[in-house]
Amino acid sequence: MRDEHIISLLENASFAELSENDLVTIRIHVGDCEGCLSAFEAAQLSRLLLQERASVEFEPPPFFHTRVLATLRERQAANDSWGFSRVWRAAGALASSMAAAVALLAVFTFVVPENQISSQQVPNGYSAEEVILGQTAQLEDASDGQLLTTIYGIDEEPSR
Amino acid sequence: MELARAAREGDESAFEEIMRRYSPRVFRFAAKFFRQRSLVEEAAQEVFLKAFTELGSYEGRGSMEGWLTRITTNTCLNLLRSSKRRPELTLSDLSSDETNWLDTNQSAEAAARHKSVERSLVAADLAGRVLQTLPANDQLVLTLIDGEEASVKEVVDLTGWSESKVKVQAFRARRKMRQAVEKLLAKGRKGHERKEFSS
Repeated sequence: MRDEHIISLLENASFAELSENDLVTIRIHVGDCEGCLSAFEAAQLSRLLLQERASVEFEPPPFFHTRVLATLRERQAANDSWGFSRVWRAAGALASSMAAAVALLAVFTFVVPENQISSQQVPNGYSAEEVILGQTAQLEDASDGQLLTTIYGIDEEPSR
Repeated sequence: MELARAAREGDESAFEEIMRRYSPRVFRFAAKFFRQRSLVEEAAQEVFLKAFTELGSYEGRGSMEGWLTRITTNTCLNLLRSSKRRPELTLSDLSSDETNWLDTNQSAEAAARHKSVERSLVAADLAGRVLQTLPANDQLVLTLIDGEEASVKEVVDLTGWSESKVKVQAFRARRKMRQAVEKLLAKGRKGHERKEFSS
């Protein structure tokens, strides 16, 4: 139990956080306990290794800032082109469906009516004026009375 | 804050000034987690690229240095997580300098007696090798608390972890590190005994 106690003391806090009392307890204990002595030595060496590790320093290389800025520009350019292609992909579906709709409308507007007209052989000119004029053309040889009857629906017979 | 605002608005020279001012600090901090210079540079570069994209979230409440240190901590942690972990360190994995360092530093007192710049570098490399056998979170807390002597609260601020998580992580990490060093020391002692016996 005493061994575990010493080891847990070593593991609960870093050496810097150990109080004088803790250190005295540890030193007294490791004098009698070989297992705890090796644990204590290993813990001390671990701390030493970590401190040596922490003391290593690197200075930024001479062109570090230039390199970061270049990478930043590259990434921004890649993001911009990616953004454009993403917008294009999103708009592409809309644009193609719009183009399809326009094409359909064009087909219904120009192609289908012409086919219907040619198949039904409908003569040009459907207005009342043309009907009347067409009829008047037929009635060119008719008398004035027949003409008036056709155009105005006036029957001269009753007035007589 | 002025520099951050200018950089946020696309002023490249303002961001360059931020890098010029804080890159030594970022490099020093990142160097505590990686043995290779290339990895330190990679981490520092990633820190500034992240900082540039996250400038909008910097509100100027804390210091720019603190904000960058938090980004550095998270970046280093992510890099540690993505780097390969060694399964276990054995004496045969160590260089002759590292084995020699262990031979002559069987105790902290002996280490203090033999201290020199060259030996410090060997020790730093050895520490890096031992740390590589541990999970990323363990490496982080050990480096910060036991290496840098940062307080639990400072680690909480840097990582965003809870206080109890930091304490538990540090407890487990210390145990693993101590056990790894203890194994190396025990193997070293056995090797010495064998050599003495044969001679």
